[in-house]
Amino acid sequence: MTHDSELKLQAYVDGELSGPESACAERLIAEDQAAHALVAELRNTRAALKGNEPVLTLPETREFYWSQIQRRIQAQAPTQPAKPATSIADLLRRFLVPAGALAALGIFCLLSVSELQSPSGGSQSEMALADPAAFTYRDFESGTTLVWLSYPADNDYSEDEFADGI
Amino acid sequence: MTTRSCAIILRAPLLIALLLAATSSRSFAADPALKLEALLVWGTNDAASPDPKHKPVEPAIRKKLQELPLKWNNYFEVSRKGIDVPAASSKKISLSEKCDVEVKNLGASTVEVSLFGRGSQVLKRNQSLPPGETLVLAGKAPNETAWLVVIKRVQ
Repeated sequence: MTHDSELKLQAYVDGELSGPESACAERLIAEDQAAHALVAELRNTRAALKGNEPVLTLPETREFYWSQIQRRIQAQAPTQPAKPATSIADLLRRFLVPAGALAALGIFCLLSVSELQSPSGGSQSEMALADPAAFTYRDFESGTTLVWLSYPADNDYSEDEFADGI
Repeated sequence: MTTRSCAIILRAPLLIALLLAATSSRSFAADPALKLEALLVWGTNDAASPDPKHKPVEPAIRKKLQELPLKWNNYFEVSRKGIDVPAASSKKISLSEKCDVEVKNLGASTVEVSLFGRGSQVLKRNQSLPPGETLVLAGKAPNETAWLVVIKRVQ
């Protein structure tokens, strides 16, 4: 007996076959011992399941029973916590903290640029044109800066030049 | 939030605005004109200058020069010129036939000094010149003497 025959016999037990197929199945049951045994087993199983299936009866109507379940589900659902009322101070703080940080950054940048642009901060630059031998001396006590140049060179003077040299 | 913290938060913008105003005024306020004085000085160990027009430098400048590591004992004033430099502008003066000085007002008591010898620029330097500050540019001259250009802030 093939697997298809077994499926047809099961359909026959369940009453799902048409007239010619049902007659064919009956003929197979009558001729084949194994088919006969299978159908007997299927009928026993079907009878056992049908006789022992528990039947629950509700004390109330079906609609009332399910509405109770629905209410319990809704009661157990997590609710969103209510947002506390935002005070004016909180709003100010939210605005002022980043604004203060930005302002502090701006002040820092302005001071940095100012210090970079202003040579008075100690960054004195010097370019001795045509005189790489120039040197600078600073007397902090008297507030005097001396820049000594090798200009003019010795051979720049003529014999009759006045002693002021420059 | 306490009342005290609220007050601090509310005062913060005022403090920030004051800081910004102070910074801006420091950075962008118009600087006044600089009044400077430039002197051409001859340094020597001779007691007197061969040129009767030369006179000894004033005591304050003499003191400053003597505190510098220079070997000369006497300093004679050859010429003197006042320089009024408006903000963000420059002015050029002649201290002698061969010596010119150009001063540019960079603001914040800072100047750019250019020294010209015989028409050629020999030095360009940025120098802070607050009141009381003096810049001395110097070099050697014949017969073991020296020339000096003294630039000082008058106002």
